[in-house]
Amino acid sequence: MIITKKKDFQELYENIKGYRSFFLLGCSECATLCGTGGEPELKKLKETLEGLGKEVTATFVAKTGCQVLGTKVELKPFKEAIDKAECIIVLSCGAGTQTAVELYEDKPVYPANDSLFLGNMTRLKVFDERCSLCGKCILDKTGGICPITTCPKGLLHGPCGGMKNGHCEVSPELSCAWVRIYERMKRLNKLDELREFIIEPKEWSKAQKPRRHQDRPVEHKIS
Amino acid sequence: MTFREKLESGKFVVTAEVGPPKGTDITEMVHHLELLKGKVDAINITDNQSAVMRMNSLSGCVICLQHGVEPILQVTCRDRNRIGLQSDILGAYVLGVRNILCMTGDYVSAGDHKDAKPVYDIESVGLIRTVAGLNNGKDLSGNDLKGKTDFYIGAVVTPEANPLEPQLMKFEKKIRSGAKFFQTQAVYDMERLKEFMKFARQYPVKIIAGLVVLKSAGMAHFLNTNVPGIRVPQELIDELKAAGKEKALDTGLNITARHIRQIYEEKICDGVHVMAIGMEDKVPVILERAGLL
Repeated sequence: MIITKKKDFQELYENIKGYRSFFLLGCSECATLCGTGGEPELKKLKETLEGLGKEVTATFVAKTGCQVLGTKVELKPFKEAIDKAECIIVLSCGAGTQTAVELYEDKPVYPANDSLFLGNMTRLKVFDERCSLCGKCILDKTGGICPITTCPKGLLHGPCGGMKNGHCEVSPELSCAWVRIYERMKRLNKLDELREFIIEPKEWSKAQKPRRHQDRPVEHKIS
Repeated sequence: MTFREKLESGKFVVTAEVGPPKGTDITEMVHHLELLKGKVDAINITDNQSAVMRMNSLSGCVICLQHGVEPILQVTCRDRNRIGLQSDILGAYVLGVRNILCMTGDYVSAGDHKDAKPVYDIESVGLIRTVAGLNNGKDLSGNDLKGKTDFYIGAVVTPEANPLEPQLMKFEKKIRSGAKFFQTQAVYDMERLKEFMKFARQYPVKIIAGLVVLKSAGMAHFLNTNVPGIRVPQELIDELKAAGKEKALDTGLNITARHIRQIYEEKICDGVHVMAIGMEDKVPVILERAGLL
């Protein structure tokens, strides 16, 4: 999921203090799991704003805030509340915020959260980065552990000289990604495979921004 | 005879290390080069070592050549992408550099520009492959070069890594990628070095043992606690302690000299790399005591 962190309220408030009325938009997916954009967070922000004399015209938790068309349909019943609001505050990731921007061209939209990374919830309220969305997955070669993401240097062939007792020199609380990969492949009886391959230099062209993936037939317009 | 010819013909080599200045005053660097000239077979010029920004390694290598010292160009992948790396490496060859040491490079957080964006577009193994390609007349994208390089390709290995097995796997991948010689992280335990060499001797590569001079028991303790891949045995720490503060450094020089002598006499490795770290002026004394001068 996309890991998000609530912005310091003062930072948000600096952006929105000039407006009087707000529509608050959350998301039932990642932001809800992160505790940054579900019902309780919307309710809390609503109360805070009202406490400051602001008006909240309505709040809504979108099912999937990054799904533009679905969110558009979901928000139809809120047309009046949104029209009435001077500003929309989005409590989700940067993608969700930009859904609102795309749907409401004439309305200021502000993010309530910082988007951090793509990661896993490894314990309650603890999130760890697991995938860099590099565009060319090598998990098939590394025992399912991503060194591009979990090694600060993104090493492809083994630990660096900074590895100390199986830990990372850059972040000592972190286990060395390559020791983990090695141990896992050993457990799976696949060490020969691990020793054998030499991964080609990463195709960073696959990570050129902004990316678009289109899993549908390309439309040919007839002019 | 060049560094490469010496190593490849089985001659025991001695290399040292000199870091470029932080700034434009090269007086001290040149002083160290003059001091080491004729006493060592080649000098590594470090590449923003420990991620601390300094004058670049390539310029240092050219200064080396101007002073009649054969340089080993250290190249890390931290600060340049594959375009920058290849371009600088081609330039180094044209300017007369023939030896290259390929490394990934310490992370930026170790240095003095902690907010820098680390590059790591490729890493040590990829860099070795890249230089092997340049030697073969091709760039990393497979394009033909107008004039190829002929670098003697080196890499690094940590014989005291813990755990060791993953490090040995990487060592082997470096060899398959084109590394011909290795300079090791500092080693202090000759018996364990011999164990590592039993493994390394399976491969047709030259191994140069890295040695860092111990200045005191405190330094030994610091290395053991803080520097990954370095392990100073207790008996050496005791030896330094017993020497007392006054004689600690002298004892440290003796220890390094003794190790060099043993590595040379027992043919444990193909050479030694003396990292004096601020005590470059002591290298001739060490070599004298080791009986190599």
